[in-house]
Amino acid sequence: MSDFAIEAHQLVKKFPARLGTGDKPTESTPTQPKKRSLWPFRKKEPKALFTAVNGVDLQIERGEIFGLLGPNGAGKSTTIRMLCTLLEPTSGTARVNGFDVVEQANEVRRSLGTLLAGERSIYWKLTGRENLEYFAALYHIPQAIAKKRVDELIERMELKDRANELVEKYSTGMRQRVAIAKALLARPPILLLDEPTLGLDPQAARNLRELIAQLKQEGHTILLTTHYMEEADQLSDRIGIIDTGKVIALDTPEGLKRRIDQKEVIRLEVTGWQEYIGEKLRGLAEVSSLVARKQDEADLWEVNLQSNNSRAVLPKLVESISQNGTRLVNMNIVKPSLEDVFIHLTGKALRD
Amino acid sequence: METTLSPQSLGKPGFRSDLRAFWAIARREWTIFKRYPSWIIALLIWPLIFPMMYILTARALSGIDGSGLSVFTQTTGANNFIGYIVVGTTVWMWQNIVLWDVGFALRNEQMRGTLESNWLSPTWRFSYLLGHTGPQIITMTMFILITAIEFGLFFGVRLNGSPWLALLVMLASIPAIYGLGFAFASIVITAKEAHTFVFLVRGLVMIFCGITFPVSLLPGWMQTIAQWLPQTYMIHGMRAAAFANASLAELWPDLQALLLFGAFWLTLGYLLFRWMERRARRTGSIGQY
Repeated sequence: MSDFAIEAHQLVKKFPARLGTGDKPTESTPTQPKKRSLWPFRKKEPKALFTAVNGVDLQIERGEIFGLLGPNGAGKSTTIRMLCTLLEPTSGTARVNGFDVVEQANEVRRSLGTLLAGERSIYWKLTGRENLEYFAALYHIPQAIAKKRVDELIERMELKDRANELVEKYSTGMRQRVAIAKALLARPPILLLDEPTLGLDPQAARNLRELIAQLKQEGHTILLTTHYMEEADQLSDRIGIIDTGKVIALDTPEGLKRRIDQKEVIRLEVTGWQEYIGEKLRGLAEVSSLVARKQDEADLWEVNLQSNNSRAVLPKLVESISQNGTRLVNMNIVKPSLEDVFIHLTGKALRD
Repeated sequence: METTLSPQSLGKPGFRSDLRAFWAIARREWTIFKRYPSWIIALLIWPLIFPMMYILTARALSGIDGSGLSVFTQTTGANNFIGYIVVGTTVWMWQNIVLWDVGFALRNEQMRGTLESNWLSPTWRFSYLLGHTGPQIITMTMFILITAIEFGLFFGVRLNGSPWLALLVMLASIPAIYGLGFAFASIVITAKEAHTFVFLVRGLVMIFCGITFPVSLLPGWMQTIAQWLPQTYMIHGMRAAAFANASLAELWPDLQALLLFGAFWLTLGYLLFRWMERRARRTGSIGQY
């Protein structure tokens, strides 16, 4: 048995460009295709390949929560899909619970409980209980054990009162709880949770995070992908930051934040933001990175800057912003978060 | 890092586990089927509507006094033209429903979003198609029984042969009909769309297999094509068993052809499924809508 719960070595996944992979990198790497049509009358245009995952190395210890943090399209879901055997790597190797994801796919599936992003992984025309009984059979759990396990999980997920109602009548949070119960049915040593709190209301997301922390206490190894930095920060023992298919940083949350400890993060709220102001501020010697994001409110922008010397840069900021109808509404100097680490590493925001 | 959890899951692999998974898939499909109540109406009305189109055309062509029917009897050797038509149209509807139902089984799962969560389990993946077939055979048996009852009640159609031999021909038809459905299921999941193929196959059955006329009426080249379609033997065999009082020996050529076609289509269906499964792992097409 391998020392690691999950190991990946130089994992690469390429897709033909015309495929909507659902997880395309924003800056894909087009490469030449290996094959050309041999049919002489039909000249095929050479297809570009998108590299969704580009040489990912991972070593996840047993019993830890490992967060894979990155923006949409960074390669998180493709990595998860390779680890849970839905996708075959183009090159590289991966082992889950000591089993090779290509050669021993069935053993890998037996070792895993997987929650994929999106809530339609269960049958809406079945009840919560029927769903769990069905998946218990698919995971080869003996009948007597399955019955007890289903009851136990229904109780644990607080679904007891509505376990015999059709899932189509459930709230999003309840459906997600059924999907998680499904992943836990066979009591697998390793859990892959792909964006588990996506689409949940704040209370449901908080409850789910508590559950994930409990599962770690029970000994599950958890690989969690998310683009919510607070979630990764709060739950993960270690975090891998992934962007354009590569792990660009890997450390504990504290270790990652220490990387920009010397820097100060200035958070501004501005109305009437113009891109040329951003260019001007980026040109200041004291500013190392700047990201501006439009907020939900009309014409309100959040601008994040990193600086080595906020005292020196503040007057210049105020002067540069307060012109041509642009107004500074709010300003804070804050402790660096994981998102600031991400901005520091990539020059862009997590939710871009 | 200390862990308290066993590195093994609760799952116990083995033949019995696979069998239970197959049963769970069949039961799931049946439960979902029952929760769309419109199936009862479809099951009662469809067996009548489609054959009626041909029966009424035959009545119109046979003249007001029905004198033209003697020509039909002379050509086909069948005394009961309604029974003759009903057998042909029922086989056509059977194949048509299987193509839409079994053929689109995986695609429907994919559209529902549940295919990947099934695919993540260690169950033998061909079970997802086999399990879907169980309830389908039950509903088709009900469909055929309702056809027999309705035409018996409303049109006075009576069997003139052994119902057991008719059942035997039906059983021998299952591998070919469902093998074709399995092959379709893999094509549909790969191409995402296969309506054209369904229209083509059912068109071929309609024209070449003699659903309302004897194949001997067709030109030679069309008869040659008809020989390569299992539905030709299903229709011929079922008519002979149900209305011509044929013996097992007389039915044997049809049964033999059906079993051979069944072996071919089941093998092809399974091979295409394996091909689709491997391709899906390479391209990720299982998760794409």
